[in-house]
Amino acid sequence: MTAASVQMSGIVKKHGAVTALAGIDLEVRPGEFFSLLGPSGSGKTTTLRILAGLESVTEGRVLLSGKDVTNAEPGERDVAMVFQSYALYPHMTVSENISFPLRMIHEKKEEIENAVRDAAARVRIGHLLDRKPGQLSGGQQQRVALARAIVRKPALFLLDEPLSNLDAKLRLETRVELKRLQRALNVTAVYVTHDQEEALSLSDRLAVFMDGRIVQVGTPEEVFSKPATVDVAGFLGNPPMNLIPGGTEGFQSLKGPDVILGIRPSAVRIVDEGVHATVTMVEALGEEVYADLMVGELLVRARLREGERPAEKAQVRIHLDPTALHVFDKATGKRL
Amino acid sequence: MSCAIRGGERRFALALFLPALLLLVITTALPLIYLVWTSFLRIDLSMPWLGGFAGLDNYQKLGNDPRFWNSLGLTLIYTGTTVVLQVVLGLSLALLVMQVKRGQAMLRIAAILPIVLAPVVAGLFWRSLVLAPDFGILDFITRWLGLGSYNWLGEPRLALASVIAIHTWQWTPFAFLVLLASLAALPPDIYEAARLDRANAWQRFWHITLPMLRPAIVIVVILRMVTALSAFAAIFAATGGGPGSATEILNLYAYRLSFTELSVGYGAAVATVLLAVTLAVAFLLFSFRRKK
Amino acid sequence: MKARNLVLLAIAVLMMLVWTFPVLWGLVTSLKTEKDVLAYPPSVIFEPTLRNYADVFRGSQSIVPNLISSVIVSGLTTLLTMILAIPAAYALSRLDLPFRKGAGFYVLATQMLPPVGLVIPYFLILRRIGWTDTYQGLVLVYLTFALPFAIWLLVSYFEEIPREMEEAALLDRAGRWRALWHVILPQAKGGIAVTVIFVFLNSWNEFLFAVVLGGNNVRPVTVAMFNFISLEQTQWARLAAAAMAGMAPVIILGLMAQKHIVKGLTVGAVKGGGRR
Repeated sequence: MTAASVQMSGIVKKHGAVTALAGIDLEVRPGEFFSLLGPSGSGKTTTLRILAGLESVTEGRVLLSGKDVTNAEPGERDVAMVFQSYALYPHMTVSENISFPLRMIHEKKEEIENAVRDAAARVRIGHLLDRKPGQLSGGQQQRVALARAIVRKPALFLLDEPLSNLDAKLRLETRVELKRLQRALNVTAVYVTHDQEEALSLSDRLAVFMDGRIVQVGTPEEVFSKPATVDVAGFLGNPPMNLIPGGTEGFQSLKGPDVILGIRPSAVRIVDEGVHATVTMVEALGEEVYADLMVGELLVRARLREGERPAEKAQVRIHLDPTALHVFDKATGKRL
Repeated sequence: MSCAIRGGERRFALALFLPALLLLVITTALPLIYLVWTSFLRIDLSMPWLGGFAGLDNYQKLGNDPRFWNSLGLTLIYTGTTVVLQVVLGLSLALLVMQVKRGQAMLRIAAILPIVLAPVVAGLFWRSLVLAPDFGILDFITRWLGLGSYNWLGEPRLALASVIAIHTWQWTPFAFLVLLASLAALPPDIYEAARLDRANAWQRFWHITLPMLRPAIVIVVILRMVTALSAFAAIFAATGGGPGSATEILNLYAYRLSFTELSVGYGAAVATVLLAVTLAVAFLLFSFRRKK
Repeated sequence: MKARNLVLLAIAVLMMLVWTFPVLWGLVTSLKTEKDVLAYPPSVIFEPTLRNYADVFRGSQSIVPNLISSVIVSGLTTLLTMILAIPAAYALSRLDLPFRKGAGFYVLATQMLPPVGLVIPYFLILRRIGWTDTYQGLVLVYLTFALPFAIWLLVSYFEEIPREMEEAALLDRAGRWRALWHVILPQAKGGIAVTVIFVFLNSWNEFLFAVVLGGNNVRPVTVAMFNFISLEQTQWARLAAAAMAGMAPVIILGLMAQKHIVKGLTVGAVKGGGRR
C-alpha cells in the first residue's frame, strides 16, 4: 500500500442557505498524521465526510494522490473510516464485520482469513472474532472498527472523533496505540477532533477550523506558539490565553489601542512592582495552580509558581512577560 | 455544481420508489377520478338504458334528499361520539392501569383481541351473542337486573347507540394501548420534581400528564377519526344500516345506493361527498397538528 | 390503600372481561348445539359438541374453500406488497429521493381514503375488464390499502437504523444495492416480519371489497360468515364455529406480534395513519 496525498482546493459546501464550508484549501502529505481541530459546527466533520465521499461539494475539487475524486463514490476512493459511533454491523460477528470490506470485492477466502487474523491481532481482538458487536465493551467495539478499517490496507485513513466515546483512561491508552498503528502501517491519516490535547499530541500537522474556514495550518508547536488569529489563541491552551484589549487601564504602556494582546497564564507573574490586581479565586488543578485576577474590569488568569498562594480578595501586583506577548490586530484579528 | 454522488443516489432512489408509486397512482388516483366522473353520470344498473351524462343532477338530488342529510348527520354523530368515547375511556383506563403493578401484560394481551378481530366478525358477534333479544347476554343482564328486555338493534335510537358501542368496544383498546405506552414513556423524575413543587395528584395530571400526552392524544384522535369515517363492516354486520336508516352512515348509504338499489351514479355522488369530508377532516387535523 | 387496590383490580378484571367476552362467548357458543344456544337463561353448563366445527369444515356448508380463498388473496397481497414496499420505504426514509415530501404525503393520503369511494369505481372497472370474482382483481384492490400502510410502517423501522450503517457499507465498497441487501435489510428483519403480519391481518379481515368484488369463485372467509345467516333462520352455533375458525389465524398472528402491535397501529404516531 502506498500512502496517499490529499489535496482539497476551494471547497465550498452549502446546505440551502447555510454555508457549512466557505472555501477550504488543504494539503496532506503522504504518511502524515493530520488533524482537523475546531469547535463543534466549525466544518471539520463535513470536510472529513467530503474526503470520504459521503457528502458532495457545492464547489471545489478533491484530489487523492493526484487523482480527481470529487465526484467519485465512497467505495471507489480507497479510503477507510472509523466512525464516532463505530458503525459496526450489529447482525454480523466481529470477524464478519472485519472481513466485510474484503468480501465486497470478492477477495479469495484464504486471503480474507489471513487478513482478518492479521488485522485483529494488530488491535489485539483475536479472541473476540466470533462475538457480535452487542456483546463487546466500548473499547473492544472501537478496536473492531479500527480492524475493519485497516484490514483493507487503505491509502487514506479517516477518523471521526474515534476516541470520544471512551472513558478518560482508555482514551489516553488508545491515543498512543493509534499513532503507533498509523506509523506501523505507513498510512496517511486524517483525524477529526474537538479535543486540542488529542490534536496537539497526535498530529504531525493540524488545521484549525473556525466557522467553516481553516484559520491556521501547521505543526502543533507552530500553532500553539504562534496562533494566527485571536480566535485560535482563545481556543488553544487550557486554560486558554488571556486576551487583553490594547489600551486597557494598567497596560497602556505595552502597545497602542489598535491591538489585542494575548498572553498565556504561565507568562503572567506576581511581582512586587507592577499593575494592581485583586485575587478573586485560586483554583488548584492537580500540579498546576491558577489564580483569577481582576485588573479593573478585566479578568486575567495567572499560573502560580510553587509556594505562591495568595489569599482570595488579596491585593497583588502583576507583570506580563513582554517576550511572551502575542499581538493581534484589533480590526482583523490577525497576528501582527 | 455537478455531483455524481447525489445523482447516483437519486437514480437509485427513484428506481426503488417508482414501481410502488406508479402502482399506487394507478390503483388509487385513477379510480378516484373515475368515481368523480361517475358521479356526473346517470347509471342505474336496474335500468341500464337510462344511462348518460347527468351533469350536476346527482348533486342537486343530494340537496333535496332527506336520507342523505340524515346519513351525513349520522356520520358526524357516529364519528364524534366514538372518537370522544375512545379517547376518554382509553385515557382513563390507561391512567388506572398505570397504577396496577402486576398483570399489565395480561391486560395488554386482552386488549389485542378486539383489535385483531375482523370488524365484520365483531359486528356479528355483538349482534348474535350480546345484543340479540332473548338469548343475548346483554339482554339477559338487563332482564336479570329487572330493567326488562330491549330490542337493541331493532329500535332506532338503541340501534345507533349499539353500533357506537360496538365500534367503541373494538377500538378503545387501540387508544388504551397507545396512551399506556406514552404514559409509561414519561420520565418519572418530572413527577418527583412536581411533587417537591407541591403539586397534588390532580394538578400533576392537569399540568404535566395531559400536556405531555398531547401529541399522543392528537395522533389517537386523527387515527380514530379516519377509522370511524371509513367504518363499514361492523355496522353492515350488526344492523345493515337499519332499522330503516337509523344507523345508515354515509358509507352504508353509498353502498346501499350503489349495490342494493343499483343506482351507481347517485351512489358515486354520495361517495364523493364522503371523500371530500374525509380529506377535509384529515387536512384540518394535520394543519392543526403542524401548527402546534 | 387496600380498598383502592381492590377497586383497581376489579376494574382491571372487568376490562379484561369486556374485551375478551365476545370472543370467549363465541368459542363457547361454537361448542353448543343450536338448541342450547337459544336456551334462556343462557346456559353455561352444557354438553360440548364439535358438531358445528365438523359442519363448518365438511359438507355443503364447508368454509374450507373460503379459507383457501382468504389465504390466496391475503398471501398474494402480502407478497406483492412487500416486494414493492420494502424498496419504496427504503428510498423514502433513507435516500435523497426527488420530491420526497410530496411523494410521502401522497402515500399517506392514500391511506386515508374511505374504501367506499374506491369500491364503486372498482366495481365498474373490474366488471368491464372481467376481473370481478377473480384473484387478480381482488389483490389489485387490496394493494390500495396494504401498500401505503406497509410503506409507512417500514419507513418507521428503517429510520431506526443509524445512518452510519450505509455510510460504512459504502466506504467498505459494498455499493448501494449490496449495502441495502447485506447491511440494512438484515437489521430491519424484525420490522419486516411485523409488517408482513399486519398486512396479512388487514387483508384477511377486509370485508367491503370482498363482498362487492368477490363472488362465487373468490369468496373470502369474512364474507362466508353470511352463509349462516338467512331471513328464515340463522344458524348461530355454526356461525360461531365459522367465525372462530376464520378468526383463529389473525388471533394467533395478533398474539404473536403483540409487543409490536402498538407500534404498528401508531405508524401514524410518527407520521401517518393506519386504517382498517
